[in-house]
Amino acid sequence: MARKGASKGADAAPARLASRTLVLDNGAHTIKAGFSPLTTDSEPHADAECHVVANCIARSQRDKRTYIGPELLEECWDFGELAFRRPVEKGFVVNWEGEQAIWERTLLDKRSPLQCDPHEMNLILTEAPNGPSVLQRNMDEMVFEEFEFASYYRTISPVLNAYVPPPFPSTPALPSGTAAECLLVVDVGHSHTTTTPLHHGRPLHAACRRLEIGGKTLTNRLKEVLSRTVEVQKEDWIVQEIKEDVCFISQSFSSDLERVWKGGLKDPRDVDTSIVVDYVLPDYEAIKRGFSRPHDTKVSRKDRALGLHGGPREHIVTIANERFTVPELLFTPSDIGMQQEGVAGTILQSIYSLPQGLWQPFLANILVVGGSSKFPGFLERLRSEMESRVSEEYLVRVAQAEDPLKNVWAGGARLARSKDALSPLVVTRQEYLEHGDVWTRRKFAGKV
Amino acid sequence: MATGPLRFATPHIEELPTTHTRQAPGFAWVAVSGAQDDSSKNWGTANRKRARAQGGGQTEAQKEAITARQQREIERKIKELNSDNSKDVQIPLPKREGTGGGASRAGKTSNTKKILASGKTFAHYLDDEEAEIARTGRRDGDLEVQMPAAQPRPSKTPLARRKTLGEDGSSTGGTPIPQSLNARRSMDHSSRPSTPGASRLDEQNEDQQDIPTLPTDAELDVLLKAPPLTYNQARSAPPPSNAPPPRRFCEVCGFFGRAKCMKCGAMTCSVLCKDTHDEHRCLKFYA
Ligand SMILES: [Zn+2]
Ligand SMILES: [Zn+2]
Repeated sequence: MARKGASKGADAAPARLASRTLVLDNGAHTIKAGFSPLTTDSEPHADAECHVVANCIARSQRDKRTYIGPELLEECWDFGELAFRRPVEKGFVVNWEGEQAIWERTLLDKRSPLQCDPHEMNLILTEAPNGPSVLQRNMDEMVFEEFEFASYYRTISPVLNAYVPPPFPSTPALPSGTAAECLLVVDVGHSHTTTTPLHHGRPLHAACRRLEIGGKTLTNRLKEVLSRTVEVQKEDWIVQEIKEDVCFISQSFSSDLERVWKGGLKDPRDVDTSIVVDYVLPDYEAIKRGFSRPHDTKVSRKDRALGLHGGPREHIVTIANERFTVPELLFTPSDIGMQQEGVAGTILQSIYSLPQGLWQPFLANILVVGGSSKFPGFLERLRSEMESRVSEEYLVRVAQAEDPLKNVWAGGARLARSKDALSPLVVTRQEYLEHGDVWTRRKFAGKV
Repeated sequence: MATGPLRFATPHIEELPTTHTRQAPGFAWVAVSGAQDDSSKNWGTANRKRARAQGGGQTEAQKEAITARQQREIERKIKELNSDNSKDVQIPLPKREGTGGGASRAGKTSNTKKILASGKTFAHYLDDEEAEIARTGRRDGDLEVQMPAAQPRPSKTPLARRKTLGEDGSSTGGTPIPQSLNARRSMDHSSRPSTPGASRLDEQNEDQQDIPTLPTDAELDVLLKAPPLTYNQARSAPPPSNAPPPRRFCEVCGFFGRAKCMKCGAMTCSVLCKDTHDEHRCLKFYA
């Protein structure tokens, strides 16, 4: 497995680290990426410095165009009937042909705000936990042999959260490059939900767990249940927006469900209109983005679509129990027959597989991150389930990152500001070319 | 519930008694008697006779076939819900324009050429790794990483919920933690009691003999050096056997399912939904 054939790029660099670091959280749904200087003079500002890029190749059935990565949000104006190809499968980069095209458009194209020269850049790159090692090797080879980054640190994404000051009250300040002592990271992502106990930023591997419900499961499920009344099978994008706009986590599932029961689709009984909404679908002419409003019982869907109700023509879909039965899968996977415990149960599987002395510190430091944790009610529900399931002598604290989507990036950016913390973690391109891929994997596994 | 007992006109349906409703903070379980897929236990004798009398009577074997078929259907659906790409669409990359990256898409080195040309899916990689583990007992042999030994977790604790899965040659199941650490943990009372909740623990557990203490640095070191679990080992385990049975929902409107279609096993909540089911959705499969 010698790397003799690899071309030589910036291997003359004397310093271990380049002056800037690209922090790239390579999510299945979006890439979160931005630069960090090698100085502790400033704190990272995720709002401004972290760019969110669609990690997909999308094909429009309408304009017959193919959008690669950032082009989707920059150049596409009609998200109807968009088909998606995602290089990240089950959380792991599997299709590098597609990922390479997206990375090139994001990192090497002059139109991109993230354009850079990898030869002068350190890279902090995330992966999902518990992946097959061949995929790790592929990633290392692509980073060094194809993109030729100057130096590189590959880590499972939950780890980087430890470098952000935790949102718990009365926790001591955390200098750049320092990791929180005990943190249980619950990452509710697009592909799945993982629970990872971290001790000073290092994962306790035997206690890592994965619940196979994530944002995509919920979008696909919403698509399926909405298709009972309206044809949305081809509308991945629109259904995802509906999910983001109207779904919430119920605090009282059965009573909420009863409040919107009609006893059949044609049952004329009144239902609780605080839950039922009409969602106006975008037509990408007059309506660029869908939106919801309180359910109007007086005008039929058909009349609206034909413009017979005296207003503009619009296509609406009425959404009732779907608003909370769909994201409920995060807490009750058995609702679709999945044989796995929900978020709370999975967290407890993680914690209870540790020595008992560690239960309390982790129960008191549960941090929720990930885009699919942003449903209203998520945190409350998780808190109440945890409290009802854990014996009272334990203190349970559950908090959500200020920006759940960008918290991993923010942690990476803080780590990247500390030369002393980052330097021992990276593998330089020179080291890779000298020692090879096995050594590199050993290094990232903490064995070198 | 808003309505009284339901009465159904069709002989293909009967209401299942609701056995119990358990309120818990934040959620509630409404359980329909019998496990979801064990249809053989769901029918009273009278109804079984009635079903047979309708000419559509099912033998035990037929019922089992339906159950197995339902299970397969559930698995197929979950797989579909967790699929990453749009269904039945191939999206080729467009021909590259003369943009920034000088690299050819074919790859700069023999390694990356291979990676870029690979048509493997995640399932392929997973199967490869499981096969390697089965063959060699280790993963990524180059790394000299021993497979974490699957060992049952300590079961004395009242908080134990996890059902330990058996080992069947694959890496599925088991939640390994180092044995040595288990053995030593309970003997160690010397380390620092400085956790956020430690004072509360002390107050409320005078009678508890084995107050958990933080592991020693040596013990933590063992934990930190343990290799990652495999993909299959890390999967969340099923709920414990004493958990409430899974809820079933009306497949027409999404409300709690209250009656089971005898033809296909689908649940419905009301006469109206049952009618819709019969008209448009019932799979109508008979052996
Ligand atoms: Zn119904
Ligand atoms: Zn049926």
